[in-house]
Amino acid sequence: MNILVFIKQVADTEARIIIKGDQKSLEIENKYNINFFDEVAIEEAIRIKERIKDSQVTICTYGTKKAVEALRTAIAMGADRAFLLDNTNLENHDPLIIAKILSSFAKTEGFDLILCGRQAIDDENANIGAITAEFLGIPHVSAILKLEIMDEKKVRVESELEGGREVVEVQLPALLTTQKGLNEPRVPLITGVMKAMKAAIPSIDPCSLGIAKEDINTDASRVIVLSYEPPKKRPPVKIIEGETPEEKVKNLMKVLKEEAKAI
Amino acid sequence: MNFAMTEEQEFFKKTIADTVDRLVVPKAQEIDEKDEFPWEVWKEFTKLGYLGLRYPEEIGGINADKIMCMTFYEEITRGSVGFAQSVIMNVLMGTYFIYRFGNDAIKERCLYPAMRGEKIATMCFTEDQSGSDLGATRTTAVKDGDGWRINGTKMWITNGFICDFCTVLATTDPSKGLKGLNFFLVEKGTPGFSGGQVIHKIGCRGTVTGELVFDNVWVPHENFLGEELGKGVFYVSDILDEVRLMTGAMALGIARGAYSEALEYSKKRVAFGQPIGNFQLIREKFAEMDTFMNAARFMVYYGAWLLENSMGSRIIAAEAKLYATEVCLKVVDELTRIYGANGFAYEYTPQRYFRDARFLLYGGGTQEVLKDFIGRTIIGKL
Repeated sequence: MNILVFIKQVADTEARIIIKGDQKSLEIENKYNINFFDEVAIEEAIRIKERIKDSQVTICTYGTKKAVEALRTAIAMGADRAFLLDNTNLENHDPLIIAKILSSFAKTEGFDLILCGRQAIDDENANIGAITAEFLGIPHVSAILKLEIMDEKKVRVESELEGGREVVEVQLPALLTTQKGLNEPRVPLITGVMKAMKAAIPSIDPCSLGIAKEDINTDASRVIVLSYEPPKKRPPVKIIEGETPEEKVKNLMKVLKEEAKAI
Repeated sequence: MNFAMTEEQEFFKKTIADTVDRLVVPKAQEIDEKDEFPWEVWKEFTKLGYLGLRYPEEIGGINADKIMCMTFYEEITRGSVGFAQSVIMNVLMGTYFIYRFGNDAIKERCLYPAMRGEKIATMCFTEDQSGSDLGATRTTAVKDGDGWRINGTKMWITNGFICDFCTVLATTDPSKGLKGLNFFLVEKGTPGFSGGQVIHKIGCRGTVTGELVFDNVWVPHENFLGEELGKGVFYVSDILDEVRLMTGAMALGIARGAYSEALEYSKKRVAFGQPIGNFQLIREKFAEMDTFMNAARFMVYYGAWLLENSMGSRIIAAEAKLYATEVCLKVVDELTRIYGANGFAYEYTPQRYFRDARFLLYGGGTQEVLKDFIGRTIIGKL
């Protein structure tokens, strides 16, 4: 089975992020990781490879040269190959463009199954997977929690619904986005780390994938960042005074009604 | 000058840091509180293959350069010093002599399993009356038939009674002082070899440290680890710089762990209506800690680079250990101050860093011995 996994390198949750003076760009501390949901996708792909003979796991990301590090981590985990779709001078925030590039790569490479995280933890857009599937004209299921390969042409997946789960059979080729709980991503073995250190990771110019440059360059983006705003500062904590618990509750009710106007 | 790590070194650093964050950091407080060897963490971590750090790929190692080695020592210690001590003993001192001098059967029996974490190694230098002063070693090895008979007691042995084999320093000729010292391999189960008293330490809890007793232990001649008798001290000398730099890297690891906790706390802890990080005197602490830690880092990694390139690292290694240790002691002290009274409570982490850092004063040569060595070497014989 030929499995493609799309990943994104994101700032570490603990990285220091500063909004630059123009309010349109960010200064991010040099701490990056694979997006957590994508790590789950890599793990699932490797597990399929371990179960099904002659499977191949290919990782791909659209990002800066720095993202090679994330691709190496995926190889260290057990992926076979990795490609960087280099976005130098092509930075944009338009998911439609990114999905177009990823789908073009998928068409060029060929695949039976595409996995990617349900969303990136930086922009939280959660739409690349679905749009890519649409471009490719293949079925797609979001936020899967269980994946069973029925045969070469069919998978059964469980995904999360509000208050329950949905079980569906999907014809391959298909694109599935992965949710926390599908698996526990592994810690790479040192043999994998060494393989990853030496792995050649080709860098691909997205324009070489049969897409016109004017369709994917920064100007083509239909999403423009107007400004970044820091989260509002939380008001200070108010401690409700009172001699007895009853009195505290009474005072709390008063505050909720009169000040917070919550009741 | 080029201070950049290679892409490979950067990737290795990130991978080991992530691994430590996932497997070791969450267990650090528990390892300290229980003060028992963390078998579960050991199994989880060692199965990844890092214990072959210094050895060639042909025998299942990583063949890491000295920069990568320092990165490893620093990161694993940042996770938990108690755990790191045992790991580093297997990686470096505990297996060094059998890798260098052991025959194939010994390597098969001891080295390869130790690289996989299936056997626990140690190295026995210290005795109750000798630590830095190796010439005072009283453990003896006397020729007996086709082998050697060893008698003596070793103290402060990392991995103590849980070790599966040890490299023991003994004198084969007390009249020759340092030139009478040699190394021998003794394996668990050898008659007369046993664990003695366990030492209860204020820090580095989780590592078993204690006595090893050699009561008329007989080992075959193949267990003599060296090319010729009387060269033991020279062999120690070959590894001394790495051991000292490693201790400096461990100091950096503790300091970095402590520093992160201090930074986080100073942003969260509110006093007089604002985070304490807004106060100048707290900022001064970070300015000093960061400055000193950067200086220590440059010394340790510069020393490692000199060592890797065989460019003479004897003094810088001693200085790096000396300085990084003092910086570490300063940082853990500041951590407890930034935490205020909470830094004095067992419920919080600063006390652990404060206790752990103390061990650095002794491992790899005491500060006093190192200062004397550095000064003596610089001034020379007058």
